[in-house]
Amino acid sequence: MFLGLSCYLIFSYLLIPLRIEGHSMEPAYQNGSFSFCWRMKYLFSEIERFDVVTVRFTGRSVMLLKRIVALPGDTVEFREGMLYINEKQINEPYVHHRCAWNLAPRKVAPDHVYVVGDNRGTVMSRHRFGQIKIDRIVEGVIL
Amino acid sequence: MSKILLFPLLILLTAAAVFLFLPNDEKIIRKNLTSLAEYSSTSPEETTITTLKKSTLAAKLCSQPCLIHIESFDIGREFDKKELKDHILMMKKMLPDTHFTFHDTGVSFPENDRAEIMSTLRLKGKIDTTRFTDAYELSIHAEKIKSDWFFSSFTVVEFMEQ
Repeated sequence: MFLGLSCYLIFSYLLIPLRIEGHSMEPAYQNGSFSFCWRMKYLFSEIERFDVVTVRFTGRSVMLLKRIVALPGDTVEFREGMLYINEKQINEPYVHHRCAWNLAPRKVAPDHVYVVGDNRGTVMSRHRFGQIKIDRIVEGVIL
Repeated sequence: MSKILLFPLLILLTAAAVFLFLPNDEKIIRKNLTSLAEYSSTSPEETTITTLKKSTLAAKLCSQPCLIHIESFDIGREFDKKELKDHILMMKKMLPDTHFTFHDTGVSFPENDRAEIMSTLRLKGKIDTTRFTDAYELSIHAEKIKSDWFFSSFTVVEFMEQ
């Protein structure tokens, strides 16, 4: 009984199992695979660039899985599919497929972060990315 | 069991049954939302008559007129029931193998005959041979008209800004 209760509490409130659906974070997170997110991740540490996080809609049943590429105050830009942060080209080893995205420079607002999926193999208009309020981030993905 | 104990227990059970099974406004709204998702969903085996029926039933859950606001598609106007039915029908034809569901739904009542609903709409389906999944945050308003609840507006909450 104690073991059951412990498992329930851990997997409901601390280490949340995720089932990945969709292709926007491939190849790191494949469609149909499983992962975990650690709710305590940002309790003792700050959000960092390149963290993979879950972004909520109205709750935790359905969430987006995205990678943070820019922090508040950073300037984000895409040139021919390459990411530029504060006018410096960023090496992104996790991106295997990329289209020639072009996005004019824009500054990330205070209390916001800029999130993008790893799979940039689709046209920019079909990929959901952009700046979100930090309070939309539910937790950090650990696996 | 003594009669003294039996009586309060019966009252307690009756109260619990009334609470569980008697429809209240929130339950009706949640049921309407589930029905809306069911009517909007389409399976490949669905006949044209069923598609027509389901589109009509989905439109019937909405008020006359109903405001639809989707900023990313540049849509922001009121639709009458006929227009709504036609658009639902068109959508079902465009997505012939798609399942709609609502998740994490919260309902509040700023007034007795008005409700505000926040929910996540999830779409899961197949276009040609490609499987897809998508989700949207919706802010929905509902109005009570002659003891029935009707959805009066749907707004897609755009929380991600490029």
